[in-house]
Amino acid sequence: MFTWTKRILQIAVLFLFYYIGEAIQAYFSLVIPGSIIGMLLFFLLLTAQVIKIDWVEEGIDFIIKDMPIFFVPVTVGIIQYFDFFYGKGIIMIPSIILSTIFVIAIAGLLTQFTLKNGDNRNE
Amino acid sequence: MNNWFISTLFLVITIFIFYGSKRLYQRFPNPFTLPIFMSTFSIVIFLLIFDIPYQTYMQGGKWIDLFLGPIVVSLAVPLYRQRMLIKKYVKAITVGILSGSTVGIVSGIAMAKGFGFQQEIIRTIAAKSVTTPVALGVTDTVGGNLSLAAVFVMIAGISGAMIGPGVVKLFRISHPVARGLGIGTASHAIGTAKALELGELEGAVSALSMTISAVVVSLLVPFFIYILV
Repeated sequence: MFTWTKRILQIAVLFLFYYIGEAIQAYFSLVIPGSIIGMLLFFLLLTAQVIKIDWVEEGIDFIIKDMPIFFVPVTVGIIQYFDFFYGKGIIMIPSIILSTIFVIAIAGLLTQFTLKNGDNRNE
Repeated sequence: MNNWFISTLFLVITIFIFYGSKRLYQRFPNPFTLPIFMSTFSIVIFLLIFDIPYQTYMQGGKWIDLFLGPIVVSLAVPLYRQRMLIKKYVKAITVGILSGSTVGIVSGIAMAKGFGFQQEIIRTIAAKSVTTPVALGVTDTVGGNLSLAAVFVMIAGISGAMIGPGVVKLFRISHPVARGLGIGTASHAIGTAKALELGELEGAVSALSMTISAVVVSLLVPFFIYILV
């Protein structure tokens, strides 16, 4: 029982940072999603050791393990847009695949180039 | 009473189908048996057979949607654990992720525009390379369609996982950091699962690239939408 109370509290931390992020976004009218602001804030506090990783990791690892379940309802929403893929929307599929190939190739090549030609004193 | 019953029913069905799909994936791992793909597919078929409107399903689904924002915050934990790796390759990671994110956004917008799609679709494709919850947040900010965004993200993930290893071979990308970074930046968590099969370093770099690129993309998308659309 104690394990579950702890996990729920640790997961509540995510909600807390999310709402703080949303509040910051709204207050400054930023274009970045509040969730990202909350994540960066949480990361900073972890790095600064203000929040110790072992205070939060168990519940968060639990929720990360099955993360895709949270995407199911919104993805099921595609049921409303079948018309899109029956029509010319179908060309979005090869376009996305092509764009994905570009990203892998260019990011990979430039990373490799930087690793080989840059300052490698850390290796 | 009906609302309460329907909510619980669809919530339970979703959880049940997801864990069933997960077991199926463990037995037959394949990009098309991925739990997100199989669960979505099964629920869509179920709703179509029983002629249930999406709005009715969402009376249960909306409880799961509540986690979409907070789950983004959880990405700080794996990122924190990889901080030494980030420090070690900071220069290559910066160059690779900035270029990859830009290419993903610009090529997506350019193709959607080139094929003459309306505003909403152009705004939806921009964030397709990043992990679903972030893509949804970004798409929401710039006025795209959330359900289509989730599907575009899934296509980028599945296709990257399937052809990523071939692409890195074709372009002679041999360094594990470069391989992981390319796949993680293009294909988020689905790609990362594949990158792990290439090697431990590939997997770790892919995981951190997926998170860092999500932050970078959330900053770049509003900018590119503003100048290109």
